Amino acid sequence: MKTKKQNINLRELFSQKLEYAEVMPDASIKSNLMRRVARKEFMRFNPARLNIYYIGGILIAGITTAVLLFSASKATGRLNPSGPNDNLFKTDTNSYIEIQVKQPVRKEPGKSKPIRNESMRNISVFIPPAKVNPEVSKVKDSPKGSISFPPGINNPLSKNGLFVESIADKKKLQSGFKSVAFLIDPHVSVGCAPLKLRFHNKSTSYDSCRWTFGDGGYSNEKDPEWIFDVEGDYKVVLQVFNRNGESLSSTAVVTVHPRPQAHFEITPEKAVLPNDEIHFLNYSTNAVKFKWDFGDGITSDFYEPSHTYTKFSNYDVRLMVISDWGCSDSLVVLNAFSGSEYFIDFPNAFIPNAQGPTGGYYSLKSDEAAQVFHPSYSGVTDYHLKIFSKLGITIFESTDINLGWDGYNKGQLCEPGVYIWKVRGKYRNGEPFIKMGDVTLLKN
Amino acid sequence: MMSDQQIIELCSRHDRKAQQVLYDKYSRLLLGVCLRYATDKAEAEDILQDSFLKIFFSIKDFKGSGSFIGWIRKVAVNTAITHYHKNLKYRYHIEIEEYESIETGVTSFEEDFYTSDELYKVLNELPTGYRMVFNLYAVEGYKHKEIAEMMGIDINTSKSQYSRAKAVIRDKLEKLGKLKSSYSDLI
Repeated sequence: MKTKKQNINLRELFSQKLEYAEVMPDASIKSNLMRRVARKEFMRFNPARLNIYYIGGILIAGITTAVLLFSASKATGRLNPSGPNDNLFKTDTNSYIEIQVKQPVRKEPGKSKPIRNESMRNISVFIPPAKVNPEVSKVKDSPKGSISFPPGINNPLSKNGLFVESIADKKKLQSGFKSVAFLIDPHVSVGCAPLKLRFHNKSTSYDSCRWTFGDGGYSNEKDPEWIFDVEGDYKVVLQVFNRNGESLSSTAVVTVHPRPQAHFEITPEKAVLPNDEIHFLNYSTNAVKFKWDFGDGITSDFYEPSHTYTKFSNYDVRLMVISDWGCSDSLVVLNAFSGSEYFIDFPNAFIPNAQGPTGGYYSLKSDEAAQVFHPSYSGVTDYHLKIFSKLGITIFESTDINLGWDGYNKGQLCEPGVYIWKVRGKYRNGEPFIKMGDVTLLKN
Repeated sequence: MMSDQQIIELCSRHDRKAQQVLYDKYSRLLLGVCLRYATDKAEAEDILQDSFLKIFFSIKDFKGSGSFIGWIRKVAVNTAITHYHKNLKYRYHIEIEEYESIETGVTSFEEDFYTSDELYKVLNELPTGYRMVFNLYAVEGYKHKEIAEMMGIDINTSKSQYSRAKAVIRDKLEKLGKLKSSYSDLI
């Protein structure tokens, strides 16, 4: 067997044997591959062949056409007014009122020749909006049998003579309007958002009416109620129609002021009553006047007051805010200090000062090195701390919570090791506490 | 029989027939390449399919400079590397015991003692990282610097993986050799 003895190294072995080695793939691989090629080919944009891009394009075109057709049919539907209640009437921000008076074709031919020729007529009337509102409200009862407009509307109309053709001949208008007016009392037409108003249509001798409220809403009720949610000036228009398709209108302006928002925070978050001075942080918006009620009978008009309570209790804190326009809002925090916590906790180790007794008085800042054994606490009134050695001998005692143990006993530094502590006392709310534990005295 | 030139021309126009001819002509050679980089034949065939997809859809990029075989081999090798990177997170990280990379034991081999099937098997059993580097260096003839760039690894990693791969292969070949000679002794 070992006739051909040609020794080569590992690298040569593999490169010579395997570099051009051929392995027969499974027959299924080819069909699988060609299927994948076909799929990928289909996804590739190819102008010569129908593929996914064309199908997608056709779909999009189809959908677009359908949508366009649909909206077009909707639009044409709108163009054909179905009755006098449809939008014959438009207002814009410049207080121009455009009135389309649709003249019915009359049966008596001789009397209304000029009208017959023009069945549609556009009439533009300028109405100063400031005057409209108060004057409209004055017109309460119009004499029956005559055509009467609110003065603000009537004057420009007659001056311009625009209505002459359509309504000057009183005899023709026996079934026409007797009076057009709607009333909004001036004092309710200004208010704070959301403003709810009821409108009264005091017109007589009409067949249908339509209110447009200037915020996109409308109503066909006689006396509708409407809520204005957003601040702003709204032009409210009442149109009345008679059977002949004639219409008249009247307007009023409703002013909606923004409502302020009362918002505040109490700090410190976990205040301890009655010790802590409480600060109230004011986050109210749109407000100029503030009325605080701290819940203990004391009030304040300051923007951000501070207050100290005289005893522990549950208090509701109220803030009422008032805006420039007299709009108000209020916020109540019920039981504002329920989050206050009373606690007393001791550490389990400390490192006394090796240079000599420190006396044991501490503050949170001065004792960063943990040289004094003392509690962290809140709301503690009565306090009695005792520390025992392992033999049970009392080596330290304190009834002053500000006086901790410095690790010395009779001027001598105590041995490092474990000591037992016991504390008893009362929290400010009267609840007693007893705690005990051990503390390790570490050597510096 | 179409020439390579004709096949390339037709394939660049996405001719389905030419693609099949190309596959029939080179699939065995490319599978031979892919199998060196895979753990088994199934994986090799996956790589083979991906390689052919790449070849079919980017045959326009073959400039005609250099050999076509060299180009498709390179595509297959790159696909294998992509495959390795893609599957890296799914593989268990097989850390074999540290092989001393000292050149001990057998350093020379008889060329015809091992069949190519046996050599494939040895490669397939290698940890994937070792296999990649060993193939790229020993068979494809890339430099460690190039391998480091292709694999996205450190150049020293490439070197140490190669020497470890060699040690593992040598070990395996030795065992296989003993087995084979005992077998042939029996005959």
